[in-house]
Amino acid sequence: MLCRDADSCYWIGRYVERAEATARMVDVHYHAALESPLPPGQGSIGEEEFQPIRWQSLLAISGNADNYYERYTSETDHDVLNFFSFDLDNPNSILSTWKSARDNARSIREQIASEMWEALNISYINLKSLDAERVLAGSPHEFFQTVKNASHLFQGILNRTMLMGEARDWLDTGRFLERSCQTARILDVKYHDLLPIEADSDPLSERVGASVYGVGGAVDTHGWIAVLKSVSALEMYRKTHRDGIYPANVVDFLVLCQEFPASVSHGISRVEGCLKRIRSKAGIQAKNEPERLIGRLLADLTYSRPGEIISDGLHEFLEDVQARCAIVGSAIWETYLGY
Amino acid sequence: MSLFESYATDGFYDEMFEPSGLPRPHYRKLYQRLVSMSKEDFRRRCQLADLTLVNQGITFAVYGNDAGVEKPFPFDLIPRIIPSAEWDLIERGLKQRLTALNLFLHDVYHDQKILNDRVIPRDLVVDAVNYRREFIGANPPHGIYVHICGSDLIRNADGQLLVLEDNLRTPSGVSYVLENRIILTRVLPQLFRDLAVRPVEHYSTQLLRNLMDLAPEHCNGEPNVVLLTPGVYNSAYFEHSFLAQQLGIQLVEGRDLFVDENFVYMKTTSGPQRVDVIYRRVDDDFLDPLVFRADSALGVPGLINVYRAGNVSLANSIGTGVADDKVIYAYVPRIIEYYLGEKPILSNVETYLAWQPKDLSYILDNLDKLVVKAANESGGYGMLIGPQATAAERADFANRIKSNPRNYIAQPLISLSRSPALVEDRFEGRHIDLRPYVLYGKDDITIVPGGLTRVALRKGSYVVNSSQGGGSKDTWVLAGETPEALGGEMRQTQRSHTETAPQDAENLPDNGGAH
Repeated sequence: MLCRDADSCYWIGRYVERAEATARMVDVHYHAALESPLPPGQGSIGEEEFQPIRWQSLLAISGNADNYYERYTSETDHDVLNFFSFDLDNPNSILSTWKSARDNARSIREQIASEMWEALNISYINLKSLDAERVLAGSPHEFFQTVKNASHLFQGILNRTMLMGEARDWLDTGRFLERSCQTARILDVKYHDLLPIEADSDPLSERVGASVYGVGGAVDTHGWIAVLKSVSALEMYRKTHRDGIYPANVVDFLVLCQEFPASVSHGISRVEGCLKRIRSKAGIQAKNEPERLIGRLLADLTYSRPGEIISDGLHEFLEDVQARCAIVGSAIWETYLGY
Repeated sequence: MSLFESYATDGFYDEMFEPSGLPRPHYRKLYQRLVSMSKEDFRRRCQLADLTLVNQGITFAVYGNDAGVEKPFPFDLIPRIIPSAEWDLIERGLKQRLTALNLFLHDVYHDQKILNDRVIPRDLVVDAVNYRREFIGANPPHGIYVHICGSDLIRNADGQLLVLEDNLRTPSGVSYVLENRIILTRVLPQLFRDLAVRPVEHYSTQLLRNLMDLAPEHCNGEPNVVLLTPGVYNSAYFEHSFLAQQLGIQLVEGRDLFVDENFVYMKTTSGPQRVDVIYRRVDDDFLDPLVFRADSALGVPGLINVYRAGNVSLANSIGTGVADDKVIYAYVPRIIEYYLGEKPILSNVETYLAWQPKDLSYILDNLDKLVVKAANESGGYGMLIGPQATAAERADFANRIKSNPRNYIAQPLISLSRSPALVEDRFEGRHIDLRPYVLYGKDDITIVPGGLTRVALRKGSYVVNSSQGGGSKDTWVLAGETPEALGGEMRQTQRSHTETAPQDAENLPDNGGAH
């Protein structure tokens, strides 16, 4: 397969997944804030008296704060929604990532099923016709649902039409690497929100220890439900953990559980499978650098315990996972895609 | 209310209607179908077609102000019909023309007999912008220079078909021929039912076969054929990607290829893979920075050397642009007679050459009557339509012509034939042309019946280029006409269309014919 085409497939997979993850992350943050039981004396949720949503942590953790404050002064719902959804100067906005997916697909139209291209193109035309005012005036949830559905439609067509060949493996490599990374990020974002943060403390430096959330201790169920919902995991979680919502179990489910398709571990093992097939197709016998890195990450995920992860610092663990995903990405570029 | 209500031919040659207002015989069945459709029905089908174009991203990129913006190429649903007898003539004429042009190209890059015999002034050829000295003496496979040719034909007020220009470098538009047909059969299948419309879809098969035939000798087994595009920002990118898909070949950019030990390879995830035939849609100038423009990032360093060594084949070959130079165009009838000893089957448009002092003064004296074109511009750029230009524009062109006479030609403004096109909610006459695609293969020359009919959708405009507000139509060549197939005799009571202005149409008697 042409390196540039493989690279485009890989990035289509990543961008579509990223658009979906951004939609999920902002959606759950927005709605969790609407519903959260407010501390006494801070007003109630009503149309007249609206508790401002705290967006700072989302901006900080999603790694977009610098970019945001270059162009926006305060965190109004409108500006934040615009920034995450439609701002083409934010390379990670939903519209930017969707456009990037579409541009990549356009450059390899002849490699993918025409329905896949059309799905990306039609959704792009649709997204481009919207703006933050209209979304806020209507139902933001509906908008985020549209993005999620567009991603699911694309992935459904992909599953149904793409040959089980190298192009598909590259699309899947991108999708699952990105998904693992994004699940780690969403968990990280929400986990921070659940911490008791001092007014002037830096949320990024906060260390999460077993003393804060004892393993097995039920705390802020509402927040944890939001985390699970954000990756469409609540119902599935209930099926596997019947004894209620506990931080250690949520971490187990979203990070370590092989069976859950949005878990970090599931994504990484899918990437491992793709890289193995790609390598044998290229006629290379020995495992190479991308496979070595992904195998090691998978081993760490496979043999970790949720309690350990929390007591050693969940934030550090999730950051490490994200950093290692990035290194895998570089190794893939070095080994296969550089052109 | 019929969509033809108030349709007027306005004194132009109309492809569908005779001056009397009756449909021409080969259009009768189509006319009957169209006249029975309601505006709403037709409108709805147009929207369906437009939606298909936008959703599929069948677009071209516009250069200039909004660089990179994609626009759909407007598709007018009323097909243009060419009767089979006329198509025979076009086919023979284009085969003759391309045969001669190919012999001309071989000659100017080898013995230069036509120059030695002073049929064409030597300077005009060797000083032409697109004459490639670097390529003198090189031998393309099977001696073919132009594998794909798109010549533009127009019909004048007398109904005569003329060749307006030849495109011998990287002619584009054939994807719209194929797509228009697919879309029209989907949204208006009824129109096809009564008429034997010759298919066009075999173009891809034929082109692929021709490209495979170019495989260098070292090739055993199936040759690796690729299509080289300048990339997604090129105006014809949709076409490149579409054709690669139709032909089932790899679409590559210059950065995907490299030269090693005088072979061309593409970079794949399994390592380098040899490339044997390149259908290139990149101009000569950008093809190889070592030979042509050094600043080109679109090309492949060393490619020309590999080509000269016969280790890779290119379609079209290098240096073909010298034969579609608009000055050389004026000599094509002489070129045909020189190499083939035949009279040209298709005529040229009368052309004045500014480098000839006599013609220059005529051009300058008659700028308000002439169309002036730069020798090497395309896409409707670098052109003056004298009768429609302002005095300032004419003065500007007069200066340009005087400072570089070799670069300009002038032609009388041909009153292009018109065809009905949908304008808002009714049909109006719009000027059209025709670009058939001619494939020169190892054994023969083939032309897919029809070609791209381009239509100037702006009222009164003669410029059909997509970059200038043009659209396109599906083009039908009929398999053969019997009076039966043509819809029999028209009843004289049928509503007809006349050359009168729309406001008068209401008062016409049913059998029409008034002038």
